[in-house]
Amino acid sequence: MRDALTRKLESFEELSDADRAALRALVPRLRQVPARTDLIQEGDVPSHVHLILDGYACRYKVLPDGQRQIMAFFVPGDFCDLNVFILDQMDHSIGTISPCKTVEIPRHAIEEITAHHPQVTRALMWCALVDEAVLREWLVNIGSRQADQRIAHLFCELLLRLEAVGRVTDNSYAFPFTQTDVADTMGLSDVQVSRTLRELRGLNLITLKHRILTILDVERLRAYCGFNPNYLHLRNARWSGRRQVPWLSSVRGE
Amino acid sequence: MADRGNVESLVVLQSIAVDTGSPDRVGMLVIANGLLVAVLVRLDAPEHERRGSWYMEVRLGRLAKVRPPVFETLEDATRWVRKRFRENAS
Repeated sequence: MRDALTRKLESFEELSDADRAALRALVPRLRQVPARTDLIQEGDVPSHVHLILDGYACRYKVLPDGQRQIMAFFVPGDFCDLNVFILDQMDHSIGTISPCKTVEIPRHAIEEITAHHPQVTRALMWCALVDEAVLREWLVNIGSRQADQRIAHLFCELLLRLEAVGRVTDNSYAFPFTQTDVADTMGLSDVQVSRTLRELRGLNLITLKHRILTILDVERLRAYCGFNPNYLHLRNARWSGRRQVPWLSSVRGE
Repeated sequence: MADRGNVESLVVLQSIAVDTGSPDRVGMLVIANGLLVAVLVRLDAPEHERRGSWYMEVRLGRLAKVRPPVFETLEDATRWVRKRFRENAS
């Protein structure tokens, strides 16, 4: 079975058997990390790249008054930060939300694989581009969307990201986040999150039971928050046509 | 400064129904020294983790600058508002 990383990279680029073998070679240093545990903290010197193979994690900062802001969610197949080893000091923390299987990839292994596997390198560049695009979309979310739309948008995004790595069944996926996690992500209060979840349930758009989120009507939820998946740049995902690569078409004379 | 550190702010609550788009509609206007400074709403919807507590739905003026907790009782809320005014006055 393909692991989450390979699945994810293949949603950006076609990989050869050699590429896949090289990626598998990254994975042996597997680590089981309990829920709610920091992988690395603000101020630490990063020496490895963290890859999430299973479970959910997040990137966050804590303000002097104790308020936490979550800036990113990591799902299986996500690098917590591909180029983090260039930093001399972490400017944020990375912690698990649920129990995670993670891999610590040493710097030289990343340099090795990128030197010899151009398709993998391109796929990794896609990952970095998409991480930035997701961050932009979250900025739009917090700055411009209403509370209910923000949360609906997050549900749509997670559906596609998790689907790309085979973690969605019948429009349901694991949702181990607490109301406070969502509030700290969306710049809302716990109460606003609780009310919004109630409203989305009342509209028969979602159910959330035993930490499993089910989207009852994907098209309606998408319309509800005006979700456009273009920023995820996933091939073969629902709602996505073939990815447009204009310069490539012109080179090929298409 | 309008408030002196040694003068306690007069905080008055006035009952009001509030439209929150949810079953939470029992509310209180919070009036400090004659000015509306906040609106509290009781968390009645069954989904809330702290049902029966009081949530500061709206904060105005100096209260807008601080992050309030959810209050167990109206007395806790009033005490918190008074404390904020005391801190700000000194």
